[in-house]
Amino acid sequence: MAKKTTQIAIYGKGGIGKSTTTSNLSAALSEMGYKVMQFGCDPKSDSTNTLRNGKYIPTVLDTLREKNSVKANEVIFQGFNGIYCVEAGGPAPGVGCAGRGIITAVELFKQQKVFEELDLDFVIYDVLGDVVCGGFAVPIREGIAEHVFTVSSADFMSVYASNNLFKGIHKYSKSGGALLGGVIANSINAPYAKDIIDDFVAQTKTQVIEYVPRSVTVTQSELQGKTTIEAAPNTAQADVYRSLAKKIANHTESKTPAPLEVSELREWAAKWGDYLLAMETGTIRTEQAGNL
Amino acid sequence: MAKILNQPRYKCALAAMQTVQAITRALPILHSGPGCGEKLGGSVGSSGFFSPHIFPCTSISEKEVIFGGDEKLYETIENSLKIIDADLYVVLTGCTPEIVGDNVEDVAGRFKNSEKPVIFASTAGFKGNNYRGHDWVLKAIFDQYLTEKKPVQKGLVNIWAGLPMHDPFWLGNLRELENLIERLGLIPNTIFGFGRGIENINKIPEAQFNLLVSPWVGLESVQLLKEKFGTPYLHYPVLPIGAYETSKFLRAVADYADFDTKEREKAEAFILKKEEEYYYYIERYADVFLETRVMSKRFVVVSDASYTLAVTKFLVNDLGLFPSRQYITDDAPEEYREDIKKYFKELNYGIEAEVTFSSDGHQIHKEIEEADFNGYPLIIGSNWEKSIARKTNAHFVNISYPLIERLVINSSYTGYGGGLKLLEDIYSVAFTRFN
Repeated sequence: MAKKTTQIAIYGKGGIGKSTTTSNLSAALSEMGYKVMQFGCDPKSDSTNTLRNGKYIPTVLDTLREKNSVKANEVIFQGFNGIYCVEAGGPAPGVGCAGRGIITAVELFKQQKVFEELDLDFVIYDVLGDVVCGGFAVPIREGIAEHVFTVSSADFMSVYASNNLFKGIHKYSKSGGALLGGVIANSINAPYAKDIIDDFVAQTKTQVIEYVPRSVTVTQSELQGKTTIEAAPNTAQADVYRSLAKKIANHTESKTPAPLEVSELREWAAKWGDYLLAMETGTIRTEQAGNL
Repeated sequence: MAKILNQPRYKCALAAMQTVQAITRALPILHSGPGCGEKLGGSVGSSGFFSPHIFPCTSISEKEVIFGGDEKLYETIENSLKIIDADLYVVLTGCTPEIVGDNVEDVAGRFKNSEKPVIFASTAGFKGNNYRGHDWVLKAIFDQYLTEKKPVQKGLVNIWAGLPMHDPFWLGNLRELENLIERLGLIPNTIFGFGRGIENINKIPEAQFNLLVSPWVGLESVQLLKEKFGTPYLHYPVLPIGAYETSKFLRAVADYADFDTKEREKAEAFILKKEEEYYYYIERYADVFLETRVMSKRFVVVSDASYTLAVTKFLVNDLGLFPSRQYITDDAPEEYREDIKKYFKELNYGIEAEVTFSSDGHQIHKEIEEADFNGYPLIIGSNWEKSIARKTNAHFVNISYPLIERLVINSSYTGYGGGLKLLEDIYSVAFTRFN
């Protein structure tokens, strides 16, 4: 009997570092000896670039545009350390329905039982921004991913997107959908940033799975078209991703989050806004403000 | 938003392809899935030069959903222009491309220099039904095809009434309205049916006024003509059936056309002659109307706003019957409903009719069954009313979509003769009781 493939979906606001985090996670998992596939679910189709020396690969939908049926192996490309890379792709900006594109691409793989054939340990979906429509919720619906992680910084809009994702998870949790593993706190340098994220996960009854600091090493690696794990394996930053990979590899129990209502979220943000203002105006002593 | 539980009495907005088809040599180009046109085209009397089976269609599939259907649409329009000889090409959108967000306006716009006009109307089914779609198609023609303001031709009247093909009597009614307008000394202009078409569309901006004979359908498009060309419109909500309403209608048109004394005398002479003729027949068959005792005095109409209102007016004002609760099934938009209700309060002899807006056939039939008709009910409706008519042992005349078991080619219930025709149909049913 084939081993069970663990499918994980990673969401988060656009530009927050999802692809960076996902690619480093994939790289770190493969270093640990796991067979990994990274499935980019974004019409920009650049999720797997840093696993393939900055090169783009033909997408599922581009291939489907050219011909009526697509075999999964036509759109799977191997990258760093044998990681299988797939990009769902999508329409040109401003036309068509990207959500339907994701549905089509994910269903194509589901039908063809590719994961079993490749004997994968992990499939990691790197999904575009917010769960704006049904299409982008496909990886968290029944029968696809088992665990969801959200990448979030301490910025309000990023937290807002995470909270929206929690709403999507909450909705599908009743019909066998994926549950929330936790938040990957990204670009966490200032102490208040950690406090904000810690408070948010407490409010929404979830956890921070790892704190990832902002690091120039990541930028340098990406400029070379590589993950930090590949380009700078002996750095502290690479170890952070390894720690994240270990935690995710050992993660077993995900939960239904308790998303905040919009008004609650605003109140919560306003409270933090007041606190930060107080810090800036000196009402709170600077030594408490860390490396602001 | 209406709920259709069963017994659909209208179709989706894309069925306004019938409005295009009713314009001789105008061709609908459907930007929709492959099944839409076939489903919507299934009415008797729709074959001909362009039948729904040959309407060009983008037949969009998953590929167009994901990547957008603009290019497929462009190709379909381009090829339609090459191989189908029409005077006007009207692109109509179905639900899917509207959800995906195809830029149909831009694609149709790329043909602005083509030899034949190409326009588009947004007719997604989720936006409304074919009663509204009809208006949207007319607005699209007025807005995109008619661009030039022209000098007004005195006496020229554009006539708008009824939904082509969906209303089984649409063409007969339109021809009779033309006839009445012509007999008043005005020049009727219609765009639908034999011998009309793009030439008549070209004349629309020259009209002295627009005449809309409908409670609400068509209001948006005549309002657009007013905004665009300054053409005023007479909104006459009642389709005139029988002498009382037809004479009233003719006088309203004469007033609106601002007839001088001589023109008015001519109009009155026509009205008098037609009324005398009408009552000659009524007198000859008075025994039928007075002595067919199996006919109860109460009736119910289940139809769209236009017919429910028109038939109610006729049966009360001309025949002296009494209305039960009346039903309007066309999902008339909320903003028109108060006015429509008001029209039912303006019956003769101080009679008023209650009216329900509903497309819930089950509920309507339940209420009819529970109502007291003081005898066999007279039910005027659609094929869906056949079962309740059987159940209540009613006299039943089928006049509305879906109209099955009856062939209507060009007959009409409009005008003086239209009233007599409706009487023939009602009493033909009543007479079957004596078989």
